Amino acid sequence: MPTLDKLEETPRKELHVFYILDTSGSMIGTPIAELNHAMEECTEALKEVAKNNGDAKLKIAVMEFNSNCKWVTDHGPEPVEDFEWEYLEAGGLTSMGAALTELDSQLSRNKFLSSMTGAFMPVLIFMTDGIATDDYDRPLTEIRKNKWFKHGTKIGFAISDEADEKMIASVVGNSEAVIKTNNLALFKKLIRFVSVRASMLASSSRTTDKAADGGGIVSDAKKELDLPDDVTSSLPDSAYNKEPEATSKDDDWNDDEW
Amino acid sequence: MLATGDKIKTSSGDKITIKEFIAEGGQGEVYKVDYNGREKALKWYKKSFLNNNSDPKAFYANIKHNVENGQPSKEFLWPLEITEWQDDTFGYIMDLRPSGYYDITEYMLCHIRFKSYRAIIDACLKIVSAFRILHSHGYSYQDLNDGNFFIDPIKGDVLICDNDNVAPDKVETGILGKPRYLAPEIVLGKVKPNMLTDRFSMAILLYILFCLNHPLEGKKYLADALTPALQEKLYGSEPLFIMDPNDKSNGPDSVAHKNSIMVWKCLPDYMKEIFINAFSQNSFKNPHNRPTELDWLKVLTRFRSEIIDCLCGNEVFTQNGNNCKCDCCGKMIKIPFKLELKSYAIPAVQNSRIYKCQLGTCDAKDALNPIAGVVSKKDSNILGIRNKTDRKWNAINSKGVPKKVDAGETIPLKDGITFTVDDMTIKIIENK
Repeated sequence: MPTLDKLEETPRKELHVFYILDTSGSMIGTPIAELNHAMEECTEALKEVAKNNGDAKLKIAVMEFNSNCKWVTDHGPEPVEDFEWEYLEAGGLTSMGAALTELDSQLSRNKFLSSMTGAFMPVLIFMTDGIATDDYDRPLTEIRKNKWFKHGTKIGFAISDEADEKMIASVVGNSEAVIKTNNLALFKKLIRFVSVRASMLASSSRTTDKAADGGGIVSDAKKELDLPDDVTSSLPDSAYNKEPEATSKDDDWNDDEW
Repeated sequence: MLATGDKIKTSSGDKITIKEFIAEGGQGEVYKVDYNGREKALKWYKKSFLNNNSDPKAFYANIKHNVENGQPSKEFLWPLEITEWQDDTFGYIMDLRPSGYYDITEYMLCHIRFKSYRAIIDACLKIVSAFRILHSHGYSYQDLNDGNFFIDPIKGDVLICDNDNVAPDKVETGILGKPRYLAPEIVLGKVKPNMLTDRFSMAILLYILFCLNHPLEGKKYLADALTPALQEKLYGSEPLFIMDPNDKSNGPDSVAHKNSIMVWKCLPDYMKEIFINAFSQNSFKNPHNRPTELDWLKVLTRFRSEIIDCLCGNEVFTQNGNNCKCDCCGKMIKIPFKLELKSYAIPAVQNSRIYKCQLGTCDAKDALNPIAGVVSKKDSNILGIRNKTDRKWNAINSKGVPKKVDAGETIPLKDGITFTVDDMTIKIIENK
């Protein structure tokens, strides 16, 4: 028999958690400090999830956008266990369009999502406190053709009264997957909750045929944390650019578009 | 979340005091608590979990029913008492998991390794036996997965937790199970969890314990993107065993699935055969054709009896009780005697055992009782075989003279002796 210490860990697919975070000028002061602190705690929580996960190897990718956009994880997604949060600074505009274009270019099996074992559909968490200062409509139309984006679990945060709720609802494609709050302590709790819940989707026992989507996770967060109804966006479908539901035709498995 | 010092009442009015938080999972949190002066564990459901259940009241009633009926076997960390509803949720009390047990996930990630193949086989035997008992009580477990089994890596002892979905077979608790561990007919939405789907999930876990690979995740699993449609194919509409002898299209990748390649070639034919059956198209499509728990017990006990230790420390798999070569150090291993059962022979070395289920059909609770064991005489190397049953054996010695062997009595290993246990005659043969 082969000696047991020759065996290696069971191959797992990778699960990427993307954070696309607004670090524009309006975040200067308490908001950016709170964001840094929230992300530090969130990363710690993800490490716990990653530690004993037989289904997915968790990786984290972080992009900040202001007048430009920049990957904090500039060498690609990093294994959660090795990841340490770097404090971000705020300043500049809110280039949501540029952020979407950059994200689109990396959501590919030849770029950030290259892996020997392949990957789960990514988790994409967006946060903004303002209004896009560039055109995001066209980049959004483009990125919606990206299958990773289309099938990803998308959740949005609008964390000030000035934040453009329609913009963030359009980006994540579903107003029910948007959390709006200007209470930064609550934001901290929520980003931790949705990050953990979304990254455990692949490894939790299910009660229904389908895994929860961004909207389902946000709705769980409301129940779990006893939140008031108005913490989520309730825009009617006509008020924003809702993403059409993915069809099974969209996910052929030997498709170069991945 | 509950806080240290919080007090909760059980349904019968006893008091539970929270001592400390232990862990959090998808369904709830687990706390160490004081319950009537003793330390126990409390599983406390998340409201969102109960909210997503179609009938939380029925879910509660089912656990209460399980509490009243008591644990089917010692492997199950069974609900001992249920709490009252409190703030739209509730929990149940169970024993704390002792130290030295690790969930299957930790073995999959090689955080923990089994000490020996015997320990793996013992763990498999205990899992299968526990499910045979559970099923014989008319229950199904409904959510077998890598997180619900805790195993001692040295002894192979098993504890099965999360017994909150255990229900009379075909009664729905609202759970479907964990992706990757579901039977194809659940993935396809044809049925809800039941005894036969338990059997399928159990076979997945057994393969994982031996090979540290998932049996349905071969080359096809390595596709770039695991979309919902691909998941449905891999685990539902087009499942294919990584070691399927006829169709290699989901076969092992030489890098990613090295474990399967290494272990599979060393497994005895009857183990290969039962895995091939368990993951055949026939078993995917016809749940009634899956190997039963008794089928698994028979091959696993045989496998256990056929492993011996080489002096170099390697565990060697012997065939038909014959002398063999160690596949590690290359030395010949001499096995002086073997025991011939009905359809195969096992080596008669120190600590060899024959289990009740190796003799034929038997009650679920008796299957793993050793009925005979090879022991050595005090202060010597002389081996004999001891009657571990509570009845007399009819034996015939090497000269052809009939003898009775009392319970607890030992007979020497001598060529030609036969003894009869239940209806099976076992013969001692010297390897020439």
